[in-house]
Amino acid sequence: MVLEIPPLLLLILRDFAIGLIITVSLNLEVGIAGIPQFGRVLAVLIGALVAAAIPGRILAWSMNLPSGADYAYHLENYKIVDQITKVLQVNATLSIGILLFTLVLAAILGGLIGYACSYPALRLKEAYLGITLLAFGDALQTVSWYYSPIAGGTQGVSIPDVFRWIGTGPERYLGMVLILLGVALLVFVIAEALIRSPFGRALKAMRDSELAAVVYGKNIVKLRAETLIVGGALSAIGGALWALNTGSFRAVTYTKLTWTFWPWAYMMLGGTGNNLGMLIGVFTFSVIRSLIYAYKTEMTMLIPISPEWFEYILVGLAIIILVLFRPQGLFPEKPALTLPKKEIENIRQRIKKE
Amino acid sequence: MKTPIPTLCSHISRKYIKLGLVNFLSWNVITLVKLDGVVEMIDLILKAIAYSSSIALMASGITIIYIATRTFNFAHASMVSWGFLIMFALYSWFGGTPYYYVLVAAAFSGFLGVIIYYSVNRRLLKANASGITLMMSTLGVDLILFAAINLFADYLTNVYKVNARLFFLELKDISIGTIGGVNIRAAPLVSILVVVLVITLLHTFLTKTTLGTAMRATIENTSLAMVLGVNPEIVYVLSWFLGGALAGLGGALLSLIYVGRPEVGMEIIVTMFAGSIVGGLYSIFGSLLGGFLVGLSEYLGITFLSLSFGGWILAYKPLIPLAAMVLALLIYPQGIGGISLRRITVKSIGISSRKNKVVKD
Repeated sequence: MVLEIPPLLLLILRDFAIGLIITVSLNLEVGIAGIPQFGRVLAVLIGALVAAAIPGRILAWSMNLPSGADYAYHLENYKIVDQITKVLQVNATLSIGILLFTLVLAAILGGLIGYACSYPALRLKEAYLGITLLAFGDALQTVSWYYSPIAGGTQGVSIPDVFRWIGTGPERYLGMVLILLGVALLVFVIAEALIRSPFGRALKAMRDSELAAVVYGKNIVKLRAETLIVGGALSAIGGALWALNTGSFRAVTYTKLTWTFWPWAYMMLGGTGNNLGMLIGVFTFSVIRSLIYAYKTEMTMLIPISPEWFEYILVGLAIIILVLFRPQGLFPEKPALTLPKKEIENIRQRIKKE
Repeated sequence: MKTPIPTLCSHISRKYIKLGLVNFLSWNVITLVKLDGVVEMIDLILKAIAYSSSIALMASGITIIYIATRTFNFAHASMVSWGFLIMFALYSWFGGTPYYYVLVAAAFSGFLGVIIYYSVNRRLLKANASGITLMMSTLGVDLILFAAINLFADYLTNVYKVNARLFFLELKDISIGTIGGVNIRAAPLVSILVVVLVITLLHTFLTKTTLGTAMRATIENTSLAMVLGVNPEIVYVLSWFLGGALAGLGGALLSLIYVGRPEVGMEIIVTMFAGSIVGGLYSIFGSLLGGFLVGLSEYLGITFLSLSFGGWILAYKPLIPLAAMVLALLIYPQGIGGISLRRITVKSIGISSRKNKVVKD
């Protein structure tokens, strides 16, 4: 097997895959539909909660292990999960089935959360909506941090390893990263197809002028709700994948900083509204963050600044510089071409002749 | 009655820290103290008043910046933290009573506000950026300021050998007497006095001085004020300075009742926003009252809820301001500034006379 890939590259690719899923879903809501989604962490957390609570419980139940609230009890949980992982390790079909099931369930619940968000999204505007969504995210984080029966609360839970069937050493990590990249690619293609569809064009029309969209017979209420559902579902998939990949769940790590503001920075760097820009933005930040993470000790020797704060300064500076000097991002959104270029050229020539 | 009643963070004494009952990692530090009398109740209420006064000051800072420059200031969190930490740093350098440094902390945060205006906000306002862009820019500023606070805390810890990541200025507060063995500190009294002073000064400034009138005029109608010769620049700078100074003042007062950590601003930013929004976001005095109410309901409400539901509910304290904010936005977006205070403020100050047309579709 190919095992010569350096772990740093795998780390970058893993962060890139997850970041891409979240950022693409954010771009769909913010860049295309113009909804100030400051509560991205909400759907991500729902996805992670699904991954933390549901598949393990189902397997525990089928194996006659405790599967109620006692499943999440931290002194029991790791033993149960250990047994489950042993079963999953030898059963590739079951592992893949559980993985797919988790992703589908996360998408459904994420969509439901998105639908719930459409209640304020139809009533409030701009900053008010942003603050409200932010509050929703914070509220869910607080509840999942302190309410232990679902996913362990402050102690967290372990999550059965659905990638163990690939192998136990580096090949597991490689396989996992490949699966993550595959899902990210799929999400990217879905989002791109949506943006290029009549639905996507209607969203852009709504973003640019709500009134004009209404005049042309577009149902704003429905469009907004649908965007939030799709966006929520996609980012819940991202959250579930992240939880499955880390192998444990602790609500405290799902902060608005990591799962809302950083994706915003990625999106703004790439160019709001342009999916290709998302690729570049997420990749750039993943590389920088992974490098900081990997060369922590060397950096501390060079500059007497704790790398943790260095990361904050970096993201903050990036946001400010982008907002001030290049609000359209590195790759600005281009007007969508609805006809092939040849056709447009033909029309142009015809107009010239006449 | 010997049932142990849990109260909030400020009830920390060295005894309980030694007992290990303090959970430093959680959102708020909760200790379990036996509260079996009127005395402790008075103490609790006094601390709730001190906490709410700080929140009221911070919330009014958010409102001032918002009504003048349309900017939802996320950097308020770090400005509060800076006020908080400046108090601690000056106290550990020079000693004395913490109260000496309250104004320095306020001035420092006000100065930070001016820097933010000139470096980021001014350019965006000139480009007529959207509310979301303005909000995003202050978020970037907040991240940098937050990192700077932590670097400063590291510096204090390494160079001066003081624990800037966990400190209790409360213990250094002046004692103004004891009731039944419980030390009553000066902080609640000072906080409420400061709030009254701020209200009086702001009111005088906004109604009696030319600059204050110019400020009101610019907030009401910028182009008309410019036609009459008001330079909006000055008003924007002033609002950033005032907003920052109120944040610093709130932070400085909060440091006398709260466990000191560099993250303190990030933890209570939601409460500040809630106060500002419950106040209606268009009225400075509404936000003072809103902040006070949200602070009180957070601090006292959770204690009373824990009396009837048990101590587990204490952990959900952050949900109270969140709920207050969301309910206010969805049900009555005009807020306090839109109801009872409105008539009074329109008559005497005129700040809240702007129509609340933004929120509803």
